[in-house]
Amino acid sequence: MEKKRKKKKGNISLVFTNRMYVFLIPALLFFLILWIYPLLQLFYYSITDFNGINYDFDYVGFENFSRIFENGSMVNAIKNTLIYAVVVVVLSNLIGLGIAIALNTRIHFKGIFRTCAYFPALFSAIVVGFIWSYVYMPTNGMIAGLLDMFGMDGSKFNPLGSFTVALFAIAIVEVWKGFGTTMIIYLAGLQTVDESLLEAGRIDGCNEWQLTRFVKLPLISSTITINVILNVIAGLKAFDYSFIMTNGGPGSSTRTLMFQIYQMAFTDQQMGRASAFSVVSFFVIIVITVFMLFFMNKREVEL
Amino acid sequence: MAFRRKKDDREVETYMKLTPKSFLLYLVIIVFCIIIISPLVIVFSSSLRTPENQVSPLNLFIEFSLASYQKAFTNMNYPMEFLNSFITTAGSVLVIVIIATMAAYPIGRIKSKLARFMYFFFISGLIIPSQMVIVPIAQTLSRLGIPNTRFTPMLMFITCSLPFSVFLYSGFMKSVPVEIEESAYMDGASLFKRFTTIVFPLLKPATVSTIITQGLWIWNDYFYPMVFITRKEQYSLPVGMLQFLGDKENPAQWNILFAACVLCALPLIIIFMALQKQFINGIAAGAVKG
Repeated sequence: MEKKRKKKKGNISLVFTNRMYVFLIPALLFFLILWIYPLLQLFYYSITDFNGINYDFDYVGFENFSRIFENGSMVNAIKNTLIYAVVVVVLSNLIGLGIAIALNTRIHFKGIFRTCAYFPALFSAIVVGFIWSYVYMPTNGMIAGLLDMFGMDGSKFNPLGSFTVALFAIAIVEVWKGFGTTMIIYLAGLQTVDESLLEAGRIDGCNEWQLTRFVKLPLISSTITINVILNVIAGLKAFDYSFIMTNGGPGSSTRTLMFQIYQMAFTDQQMGRASAFSVVSFFVIIVITVFMLFFMNKREVEL
Repeated sequence: MAFRRKKDDREVETYMKLTPKSFLLYLVIIVFCIIIISPLVIVFSSSLRTPENQVSPLNLFIEFSLASYQKAFTNMNYPMEFLNSFITTAGSVLVIVIIATMAAYPIGRIKSKLARFMYFFFISGLIIPSQMVIVPIAQTLSRLGIPNTRFTPMLMFITCSLPFSVFLYSGFMKSVPVEIEESAYMDGASLFKRFTTIVFPLLKPATVSTIITQGLWIWNDYFYPMVFITRKEQYSLPVGMLQFLGDKENPAQWNILFAACVLCALPLIIIFMALQKQFINGIAAGAVKG
């Protein structure tokens, strides 16, 4: 058996034999049983009217799918998630990169600034949710209070109660917590840029902007890729602040894919429909991630 | 809070001269940092008041009392929740380090399609959100006869950490020279021996990075404990915070709520302050090397 496999795979290394694959077993067990198998089960549940508790369920075909599309909850959740993800990706990367470039100069107190920017990342999402609930609170909250101080009417300030603003408000919370990590990764990337290349650029008469745009950015393109991808993944998983701060509201304006799934499964106990929702979300996430990977790789070559 | 600044070679060299342009840079960064940090300062200052003090939190540091902390401390049953969090995090991270290095060993060493496939198979797990698969996971666990104890979330933390840890370790595996292992093979070292005495110690930077990045999210995660833990004495710190959920819109409770927030984050803040350099390097190394 062992010999046959060796021949087939054509692995001829004496040191690194196929026996090494046994090292994969523990990780693979965890991964298959608790991650891949449940994922596959979703496909099965998505065509049933399973409620999550009672195993006496019926097959309903594609009714779950047609329902979530007909009542608009799917389209709404996809739209909200995409907006959220775009805000998170764009702001995190712009702010993170900007601050990283500023801190990569010979500036005093670099360590303190870096610590300040990274600090929010240490807090649990639930703590962050509480803190920002206070910040956004009308009348008594931090921003409302500051507006009052400067003579503006703070009682009208209520971002979490507004249909149009609430989603952006919670996306900003995610950016606040996450941009520090992005910045640190950019900073590490910038530190790998060879000083002699910058020197050569200066001799050729580049100004700081040109140095950044045409020397530094192309050299850290792989760092940009990883930061964008990590932020896209985090953005598509949007759940925490809809759950803690707005409870999906007002109306359904902050219901993201994951929040909607959670609510269907746990609050409404419609596991079948939640599974259908999950299946669609799964494909949405895959399509976006693959598209991003493809796009970023192409861009990396161009830069 | 004490900030320590490490002097590396470049910093000793020269600092920027104070010109109008650099002054503007300082101004922008300082204003930005103040905006970022201000909610935290307000939270900290309010947490130092007595619970009855209802003056707007914007008046910073008008009172210094630990009464709110005392109240939050007992409300949360802090020592117990802290211990639960600690056991969960330390236990999960320990298992992750072991099984992720093991998994990355063949993936990083064998040049075959199967190894390549395994690499992408694990990484693809990164994109799956927990909320999506949580119900089937709960069913799988109950079918396996695993009861809901404080150890159940650990299983999920381990599984969820695998994609990133395997990705990280496989990236670092390239920096462990093949030649050392080959000469160990010549000297008759077994596969297991090579792994434990050569590869694992040389992967130390990756291990530090894994402990920091995974430890951070596991300590802070409330989702899995919220779903799997029903008994109060098994709550971890973030789940304990959930009981304050109703207080967030009630200004009368803010001082205690904020004290609880500080208590919840305190262990990580202390570790971060003590190991700042390792922290920053660990986070960066994860993404840059992998």
